[in-house]
Amino acid sequence: MNNSFNIIGQSVIRQDALEKVTGKAKFADDYNEPGQLYGVMVRVPTVHAVIKEIDYSEILGDSSQVIIIDSNDIKGLKKVGPIRQDQPIFAYDKVVTPGDVVVMLVGKSEFELKSLVKKVKVKYTELHVLSDTSKSLEPDAPIIHPQYEDNLIVHYPLRKGDVEKGFQDSDFIHEEAYSTQFIEHAYLEPEAALAIPLEGDKGIKIIGSIQNPFTARKVVAQVLDWPLTKVRIVQAELGGSFGGKDDSMNIMAARAAVAAIKTGKPVKIHYTREESILESYKRHPYKMKYKVGCKKDGKIIAMKIDILADGGAYASQSPFVTWRSVVQATGPYEVENVWTDVRAVYTNNPYTGAMRGFGSPQIIFAQESIMDEIAIKLGLTPEEIRKINGFKSGSITASGQKLENHDVNLFKVLDKAIEETNFVSKWKEYGKNRSNSFQLDKISESNAERLIIKKKDFIRPNDLLRKGIGLSISYRGCSLGAEGIDAAAAYLSVQNDGSAYLLSGLAENGQGLRTTFSIIAAEVLGISTDKIYYLETDTGLVPDSGPTVASRSTLMGGGAVKSAAEIIIRRLEDVLTKEWNLKINSEINFKNEYVYTKDNPDRRISFKELCLLAYQKGIILAAMGWYKGPDVNWDEHTGQGSAYFTYVYGCQVAEVTVNMATGQIYIDKITAVHDPGKVINLLGAEGQVYGGVTQGAGYGIWEQITTDSGNIRELNLDQYLIPTSKDLKEIKPIFIEGKDSFGAWGAKSLGEPTLELTSAAIANAVRNATGKRFYNLPINLEEVLLRRKLFPTDLKRGSA
Amino acid sequence: MIPQFEYYKPKLLEELRKCLGEFKNGTRILAGGTDIVPGFIQESKRFSSINHLIDINAIADLKKIKIDDGFVQIGSAVTFSDIITNEIVLKNCPLLAKAAQTVGSVQIRNKATIVGNFVNNAPCADSVPPLLIYNAEIKIISSSGERVVTLGEFLLNPYETQLKTDECVTEILIPIPSHNYFGDFYKLGRRSAVSISRISLAFLLLPEDGKIKELRIASGAITPIGKRFYEIEKAFIEKEISSDTFKKIAIMLGEKNLETTGLRWSTAYKLPVVQQLLYQLLERNVNGTK
Repeated sequence: MNNSFNIIGQSVIRQDALEKVTGKAKFADDYNEPGQLYGVMVRVPTVHAVIKEIDYSEILGDSSQVIIIDSNDIKGLKKVGPIRQDQPIFAYDKVVTPGDVVVMLVGKSEFELKSLVKKVKVKYTELHVLSDTSKSLEPDAPIIHPQYEDNLIVHYPLRKGDVEKGFQDSDFIHEEAYSTQFIEHAYLEPEAALAIPLEGDKGIKIIGSIQNPFTARKVVAQVLDWPLTKVRIVQAELGGSFGGKDDSMNIMAARAAVAAIKTGKPVKIHYTREESILESYKRHPYKMKYKVGCKKDGKIIAMKIDILADGGAYASQSPFVTWRSVVQATGPYEVENVWTDVRAVYTNNPYTGAMRGFGSPQIIFAQESIMDEIAIKLGLTPEEIRKINGFKSGSITASGQKLENHDVNLFKVLDKAIEETNFVSKWKEYGKNRSNSFQLDKISESNAERLIIKKKDFIRPNDLLRKGIGLSISYRGCSLGAEGIDAAAAYLSVQNDGSAYLLSGLAENGQGLRTTFSIIAAEVLGISTDKIYYLETDTGLVPDSGPTVASRSTLMGGGAVKSAAEIIIRRLEDVLTKEWNLKINSEINFKNEYVYTKDNPDRRISFKELCLLAYQKGIILAAMGWYKGPDVNWDEHTGQGSAYFTYVYGCQVAEVTVNMATGQIYIDKITAVHDPGKVINLLGAEGQVYGGVTQGAGYGIWEQITTDSGNIRELNLDQYLIPTSKDLKEIKPIFIEGKDSFGAWGAKSLGEPTLELTSAAIANAVRNATGKRFYNLPINLEEVLLRRKLFPTDLKRGSA
Repeated sequence: MIPQFEYYKPKLLEELRKCLGEFKNGTRILAGGTDIVPGFIQESKRFSSINHLIDINAIADLKKIKIDDGFVQIGSAVTFSDIITNEIVLKNCPLLAKAAQTVGSVQIRNKATIVGNFVNNAPCADSVPPLLIYNAEIKIISSSGERVVTLGEFLLNPYETQLKTDECVTEILIPIPSHNYFGDFYKLGRRSAVSISRISLAFLLLPEDGKIKELRIASGAITPIGKRFYEIEKAFIEKEISSDTFKKIAIMLGEKNLETTGLRWSTAYKLPVVQQLLYQLLERNVNGTK
């Protein structure tokens, strides 16, 4: 392939844009079947309990024709999960969190079913509620899942060098503790699934808002105890996922399937926002302790890290999420001596699983906050401390991996961000002369009279608004790494008129995958993207390509699409070589809908004619491309190994204004410099940055799921506040395209890096503005002024 | 679940009066519906007993904003979007337009009415503080007559007003301010849009020879319902316009606020902040004018 691209790197409007903005796109809940029934969930008003008995007599005595579905209807696995099978489709032995479903009522009228929910009488014995992770591993802690001996889901140690000697050799030691919150994905579209039994024992078809069709297929087949082939998952247009439509959707699909098989009729389940927030998994809250040993010149020589993650009621993806954390916990810094322990534990809280970032936003918030504190202590700038310690080509990571075979562009993204924002002079200017600010940290109920302000404590009007600037950097392992098998497929079928069908085994989750893959196929074939028709995602049509997660689609799926297109190119080259009596291995170009040899560009044949010619010669122009990542390795006991086969690098700079009277943080500008490898669709890449930065800012300032005695307070988007377009003034994406040998022309990852850096950059900017370091996300109004969160004393919502 | 109810959409005030006379109990007026519809979905007890819903959006008279007899008159079907750009409102009661801009989102402002906002009487209703400092009055009709009360009298308790089930608010009457007041409205929400007020403040100040001739202050979301602070207003008449006076005003607001609400879960944040905010607002808008 030559270096000058036709389409790659340009801005291409996504294929589904028009239908989505005009309301024509069909989402899962837009699908209906004649005679379909509805499934309505029955939950129990408790947080932790043993189920004694479920009494249906009030419903059975009723004249309504309701069908009851519970765990007795499940022929296969009653409990499922990606790693540990601990999550019931219908709870039958215990309730371990308020989102648990014990029974599903199925019938024609949703209205009627909802009125019957209260008539299911569940008798249960309440158990002690475990909501604090620091108590999960205590000997007297209630065991959430009695099949395991304790509440430990996973423990990853990482041992490199001699950390105690490192501390002894240090000139000073810096210790800090940080914490982060539960985060709801807050996808615009709540979950929905429609299960349709197929006639003639052909199995079942499920249309749903499903992020990972192959995972959903596996779970449904396990629950039904059927072969995979009899479960077909068709993905509807997805209204956002961010990692959130995996486990909970697999379970919803299984419930719909069980009911559809039992009734012989299509069954639809769709959630309200409240049900969605109640039942779906969240991003893990982390408690993080960092101890850093440093030389006088700023060189870090030892790091001891202890992380406790709240896995909530089910293991879900906790073992994988926390594994990424253990790999990346030191940040992109060369540290000779590292001792890290990451544990995930069970509680009765909402369960936690995959969410955009996947174990990195937490640790980046901590480690990048600490880097700034060390810099300030030593009189260095944030840039200098990072240059002293940051990864270069050939650096060794905490897990002992040498960074090679790709552009290690950490300094490049950092330099670009610094230069672009005039960082250093702003940082020095804003950080100057911080007079004693309005301090409310020390006031509590016992000295409430101090809440009446003293005259001297009024903020001078010209000191009301303070500007600050802060940065954060990261490295991120691409794709799954040592988590598991890493390969993907793509099917490309070129028609005899030169148009082509394309389908990959990865899913369009709103990230723009169909457009990106069409660009890759079109680029190789030398045709325009509108000649590519992207097929509907259906597990029956293409090989299992693993989940659409870990910012792996462009890298893995893109590699597969390119491979499929290249197979077809080789076949077309053979046809043309024979037709034109060319020398074997003549260089043939496919460009702008034409095909010609490099030596004689004037002699051309259109792509369309060549396809027809191949067809007439009986040559197959359909191919399955396959892309498999190189092998990686990991030692569970020492935390050493080549965790990921390649990495991406990013730097974000936040510029903020803080209102010192109210604690409001206004985001003036976020500059996001990323090396995603080769950019395939510039518009799509910029879109990833806008969305990721906004979500990252939400993590930093506004978003938080909290619980009151185990029950979620924020069950709708009036209380769970995600940022609006008015909350971020300017986002500037800048791409540094590092070279890499993997994927399609070295196109790697971008989706998650865009999110993981933002909250840390904001925290550092707020530090620069106020002189105060914040340790607990989100840095909301109360946190800024009081250094703590305040919560209502009851769960009442508005006037309700 | 949405309860079963009869729906009426009168076109004339006379038809509205007739509806009000006939149904009585369980009757509710539908203007923007931005509280009623979510209330249904949340199964709020305030709305579950509704059996007659009277939609006033087809009554042309209630859609008007006009000046009559020294009053700005705003009909009860006028939306927030309507007043944001209305010349009469911008000229005579600009703080009401400013408050209107901060309510919800464009979609909500296109539906929600100002009258509905204070008839619902949530503690955080953003229209209340500006209407209170403009000395707004409320015209109410029933099948048998009409009455006019001040907004302060009309608002009783959180989510509770004087309005009876056979009554409907038809107009807000705002006396056209006789002087050029200094003033401002500030809404503190958790985010920049689609936000519920944590604190809202409105004030008007009339200076004369470097002294305060008249002062009006009202707040929202820090007291059980939106509230005028008459004691503070009186205490500072004839006081010199200065930073020191502004601090004293702000401190007194803090004291009155604590007196009214006592210690609540949010006091540790809200009480100091409301004092700082009022001080900043006074400095920003008035100082330099003495």
